[in-house]
Amino acid sequence: MKHSMSSKGWLLAFAGTVLLLVLLIMGFNFWTDPFGAFGDRFFQWWSYDETMNPRVAKLSYLEQNHEQYDSYVIGASHSSSYPTEALNTYFDAKFYNLIMYGADMKDVELTSQYVIEHYTVKNLVVSVYIHNAETYDTEANPLTYNLHYKVDGSSPLLFYAKYLLADPRIGLEKLQRSRTDPYLQQSYRVFDPETGAYDKSSRDVEPIGDLSAYLARAEYAAFTDYPTASTSIAYLEQCMESLARIKQMCQEAGVNLVVVCPPMYYAHLAQYSPQDQAAFYNALAEVTDYWDFTLSSVSYDPRYFYDTTHFRNCVGEMLLAKMFDDTSVYAPADLGRYVAQGQTPGQPQAEVPDVADYTASVPILVYHNLAETGEGSDTMSVERFTQHMAALQEAGYASVTFDDLRRYVEQGTPLPEKPVVITFDDGYESNYTLAYPILQQYNMKATFFVIGVSVGKDTYKDTGQPILPHFSLEQAQEMVASGLITIQSHGYDIHQAAGLEEGPVRQGILPLEGETEEDYIRYLRQDCQKMDELLGYTPGILAYPGGNATELSEVILSEMGIWCTLTIVEKNNTIIQGMPQSLRQLGRYYMKESITAGDLIYLLAG
Amino acid sequence: MAFTSPEFLILVLAALLAYYLLPKRVQWVILLLASCAFYLAGGIGAMVYLLYTTVTTYIAGRWLGALNQKRQGSQAGAKLKRRKKAIVAVTAAANFGLLFMVKYWDATAQAMDNLTGLALPRLDLLLPLGLSFYMFQSMGYVIDCYRGKYPPQRNIAKYALFVSFFPQMVQGPISRFNQLGPQLTQPHPFCADQVKYGIQLAMWGYLKKLVIADRAAVVVNTVFQTPENYGGAMTAIAVGFYCVQLYCDFSGGIDITRGVAQLFGIDLAENFRRPVFAVSLTDYWRRWHITLGSWMKDYVFYPISLSKPFARLGKFTRRRIGGRLGKIIPTSLATFLVYFIIGIWHGANFRYIAFGLWNGVLITGALLLAGPFVRLRTRLHIAENSKWLHGFRLVRTMLLVFIGRYITRAPRLLVALDMLYTTVASPCLYQLRDGTLLRLGLQATDLAVIAVGVAAVLVVEFLQERGMQVRKSLEKRNPFLQWLCILLPLLILLFLGILRDAAISSEFIYKQF
Repeated sequence: MKHSMSSKGWLLAFAGTVLLLVLLIMGFNFWTDPFGAFGDRFFQWWSYDETMNPRVAKLSYLEQNHEQYDSYVIGASHSSSYPTEALNTYFDAKFYNLIMYGADMKDVELTSQYVIEHYTVKNLVVSVYIHNAETYDTEANPLTYNLHYKVDGSSPLLFYAKYLLADPRIGLEKLQRSRTDPYLQQSYRVFDPETGAYDKSSRDVEPIGDLSAYLARAEYAAFTDYPTASTSIAYLEQCMESLARIKQMCQEAGVNLVVVCPPMYYAHLAQYSPQDQAAFYNALAEVTDYWDFTLSSVSYDPRYFYDTTHFRNCVGEMLLAKMFDDTSVYAPADLGRYVAQGQTPGQPQAEVPDVADYTASVPILVYHNLAETGEGSDTMSVERFTQHMAALQEAGYASVTFDDLRRYVEQGTPLPEKPVVITFDDGYESNYTLAYPILQQYNMKATFFVIGVSVGKDTYKDTGQPILPHFSLEQAQEMVASGLITIQSHGYDIHQAAGLEEGPVRQGILPLEGETEEDYIRYLRQDCQKMDELLGYTPGILAYPGGNATELSEVILSEMGIWCTLTIVEKNNTIIQGMPQSLRQLGRYYMKESITAGDLIYLLAG
Repeated sequence: MAFTSPEFLILVLAALLAYYLLPKRVQWVILLLASCAFYLAGGIGAMVYLLYTTVTTYIAGRWLGALNQKRQGSQAGAKLKRRKKAIVAVTAAANFGLLFMVKYWDATAQAMDNLTGLALPRLDLLLPLGLSFYMFQSMGYVIDCYRGKYPPQRNIAKYALFVSFFPQMVQGPISRFNQLGPQLTQPHPFCADQVKYGIQLAMWGYLKKLVIADRAAVVVNTVFQTPENYGGAMTAIAVGFYCVQLYCDFSGGIDITRGVAQLFGIDLAENFRRPVFAVSLTDYWRRWHITLGSWMKDYVFYPISLSKPFARLGKFTRRRIGGRLGKIIPTSLATFLVYFIIGIWHGANFRYIAFGLWNGVLITGALLLAGPFVRLRTRLHIAENSKWLHGFRLVRTMLLVFIGRYITRAPRLLVALDMLYTTVASPCLYQLRDGTLLRLGLQATDLAVIAVGVAAVLVVEFLQERGMQVRKSLEKRNPFLQWLCILLPLLILLFLGILRDAAISSEFIYKQF
């Protein structure tokens, strides 16, 4: 049967279909809400939304959660590197970081104004640097760089229409990402939703040591050929007027305003003419008091920077300590100057530092089993070991512990001139019976890395298969009591042996084949917990069995309290003051029977 | 304001609502306002050109109209005619002179510098949107007034609407005043049929443009950017894609134009009549960019071939050469001139001149060789209505057009010739098999979309060529099917046209002319 459709009917059907499609798109965009414009009711995946548009999503987040906070950091992307925990401690407050990538002072002013007017605000830390005078009131992209309508007073109708009718593929991507989202930080979700700062969980455990090795890495290549740029601080006036209004607002609302100029890499600052630099810092001093961290010895070492324009969180720790006069935290003497309003500070000045003043070269030796006669790669003769200790002593090497290294990094406590770290892996009984007396004889400190499941055993786990005997907890306690020996982790059960293991064999800390990321992470955490229970304390140092370290293992271990990790890469280590990540994935020289005392000294002399 | 922008859709929707809701007598004002809004979105500078052409041609039209009213004695008549001619000449010079300065001066100066070693100043003017289209349209009006075809439009605002009617601003069609003018100012009651057909036509245009043409453009751009990287087969494929792109782009744009105009109850002239089914190059030009061809015919070809020098030439050739050749030489010359002008119309570049010559030579040649061809056919006993002959003609025409496209798309004439040579001399057939096709910026799915799209266009045009009215016959189908014919194109447009790879851009090609 044929029905005809009148033209009016057709038009209605057309209009209805268009409307339906539009509604479907709007519904989808509302549901997925990739920019957080609607409060992300269904996913609450703020990390993702804030990455898409920090200005809009962070405000939506705060609308729901601002009661948890009473203080804010605000500014462009460098503002992320003021560590929230340290801020909370020093200010005795609860900080939220309102960093918005690419923010200009207009964004900062309007957002500050909204936050001050609508939320409880005790402290406002405004991070402002000379680059802020280059642009004002720009909006690079109307979906990703615009402010929330509540902040800039634009039309809510247009605001919501824009996000309702946005390309639904953006929402689709969020949907797909949410299904396959791995544990580590991803480029599509860079924020830590609770603190609002960048999630640096991976970046802050990335091993950093020797400068030339650092610069040889592709991601830091830009430092060797620093980009040039033509700069003009054309918007200095607008920038300062904004800041003045922020100051006014804070005064009226009783908010403690702290203005900070963040550290810049010296070549970045050099993109600005000396006149522009002086003009900027003088203009700033006309408006407000501020802490100026722009240029110091830190500025000359690229290792203190995530990239060409962003200082690291560890530098943030230093500068906060400086602001609060906390001498228990290392900071270079020339870091930061306090500029009072009305002064004319002029162009920032700092001298190029001597790298040797804040870095140390530390070799680490790794031994395994000792016996009367040496055999194979893992067993060394008592005689050879004694020769090693004697040679070290004679050559003026002083054994240091990992705690000494940590104090050097975090507090700036000096190390002896020729430090060396002695370590033993696996926790063999011979470490107690043979090595310990020799170490005592030469007064050498050493760290023993024990395998949790093997402590006190001479059989493999519960299989009954015979293995070399391992010292017991009592023996360990006895050694620790001497003050020479530290017991640390070689993993509770991540040092599995092929041929002895009943199930699939884990290759060091690596995941098993087919193991899901979730299972793997649970295994690692449990492994750490079991070790804590066994030792009665949380070991801070872990020697990777087989040396296998991954980004994921570093992040998980760090979360579990491991602040220093060791591999078996044979290299010297550069330890950097103020940079805890210089204690990660340290290299160790593998000690074998074939290495004579002469070889050892030659090796250490580099 | 691009047809493909949301702003355009909003403008159309707003204008439509006002058009049918407000009193009928202000309908034309709404169109004028919408046209102003459309044109102003492109910047105030371009508006100056539009006003210039509108005012000069309006005055010329009024003046010519007034002169036409005068009683004509034989003595005064001749004088009057000279004055009228002078008015047309001055208006034409004022307008085409401007067009020349904007579009051709820099290139001409360059050429002159090269020849003479002078350093002529450059103007670096930006070509305002649709300049050559509305200029041709309004000059056609002036010449019609000169010929007394119709009385001039007295109301300058109404005349301005004729010049600037927004759907046809970007790329034509080039309308005639007697056809479009009255429609624009008449009252149009809401007609559901018209609106429906308008929507359907515009959707069809958007499909061709957004789904097919913009995809094909990616392949074309990749190959023509570095033609030296590709063998003859790939070059030919790229030119094939260009043919697809050009047709879908231009005819798609015209469909949108005509569809939008139809929403307001206004019929614009056809600009395409399925050129893929042309049996000769002459036929092709009657089917492709029809309004430009017919403009050329009425305002260039006839005036030239009927002019006194040409009459004298005709007399001369008939007497001296005689026969068929003597008879057709003047016509051929005029034809040749027209294609030469069409070539130049496309832009200030030797390749466009070459393109004009290519068409001119072939068409004149065909005229001259028509006799021998007929004799050959009779001798071979091929019937005029033979299917094989028809097929041969179709393929031959396509091939000639195809070769012509090398010339218009290549960046320079020499490159075009080089690419043509490559196509024949080094086809590099292995590039067809080694995945080169998938390294041209499109994924396999996009290529499939183009293939399906082209097939759909061909099927529809084939049915139309057979005399079927596709949309009318659809009306007789059951409502669900009709609804599918709404839903599917919308979904295709949404997912393959609007939400597509960011690498695909959507500039209309004919906007530049």
